[in-house]
Amino acid sequence: MGTFPTSTGSPRKRLPADAWCACAVLALAGAGLLPFELGAAEPKLLPPEQAFRFAARALDERTLEARFTIADGYYLYRDKLKFTVADGVVANASLPPGKMKNDEFFGRVETYRGIVLVKLPVGTPITGRTLVLAADSQGCADAGVCYPPTQQKVTLELPAVGRGPGKIVDANPEKKNWFN
Amino acid sequence: MLALAAGGYFGLRTLQPKAALPRPAAGLLGTTLPDAEGRPQRLEQWRGKVVVVNFWATWCAPCREEMPLFVRVQNELGGRGVQFVGIAVDQVEKVKPFARELGLNYPTLIGGYGAMELSRTLGNTVMALPFTVVIDRQGNIAYEQLGVIKPEALRRTLETLL
Repeated sequence: MGTFPTSTGSPRKRLPADAWCACAVLALAGAGLLPFELGAAEPKLLPPEQAFRFAARALDERTLEARFTIADGYYLYRDKLKFTVADGVVANASLPPGKMKNDEFFGRVETYRGIVLVKLPVGTPITGRTLVLAADSQGCADAGVCYPPTQQKVTLELPAVGRGPGKIVDANPEKKNWFN
Repeated sequence: MLALAAGGYFGLRTLQPKAALPRPAAGLLGTTLPDAEGRPQRLEQWRGKVVVVNFWATWCAPCREEMPLFVRVQNELGGRGVQFVGIAVDQVEKVKPFARELGLNYPTLIGGYGAMELSRTLGNTVMALPFTVVIDRQGNIAYEQLGVIKPEALRRTLETLL
């Protein structure tokens, strides 16, 4: 153990810093940005569509790319992840390997954290067509709760042959709620 | 501990959006759901007891983790007026084998995904599981918990209400 940093400032001097800190904490708490609500017995948890943000884009005329952005402290089950495309177009997902987790009840399960990218070949090229891609997912928070299976959808337009990737479409665009 | 101290210091407790406890559980007690055998059960039938209503599901690992505790406490305190009631956010064919495996000694009602909405009206705003409320003998919600209940918190709450 190294030496403890000792404060040289007098209590009078430190007070403004504490007050500023309290203000910052209050502002963050008010904006819902603190992961845990101070003073509450329960952790402040994100709704599933924010804990597991789904977005996708068309890479080319025959390939979609699905993306889950998983908030810190949350995880998704690999075997509960499913993608479907409406209009009878079949997307064959090859899911990347997850992290093996030994679950007391479910045995060995694979989980995802952070960002998950999944390529979805949609078969024959169907340029200029609009597709609805649905993602079913189910996950939990390390805080000790699980969310029911959730479906999120995005509408994508497949680009013409030879055209680059389309823009990323968010299933639940972030709401700007700073002032209400 | 630190969070509690900080909460006291900043006075943030007043910012909690939830309605104060205890509050009437009339809506919950008036709910009727089928049990695992398909018979309709109204929660009102347990009014007068200290009722622990636990929303759970077989796909929810933390829910399964805490249920053996409920079985033990039902055994210990059932005679003194404690009644556990499960509400499964699940399908009956998934619930039945699990209830058998666990030796569940209290009824679990089959709520399907609609039960998630019921739990939201009780304060489970993020709609996650497990979610548990304790109803006192007068029919008021006296305690609620999102996430696994600590055994000592459960026992303390029940002893206070018995």
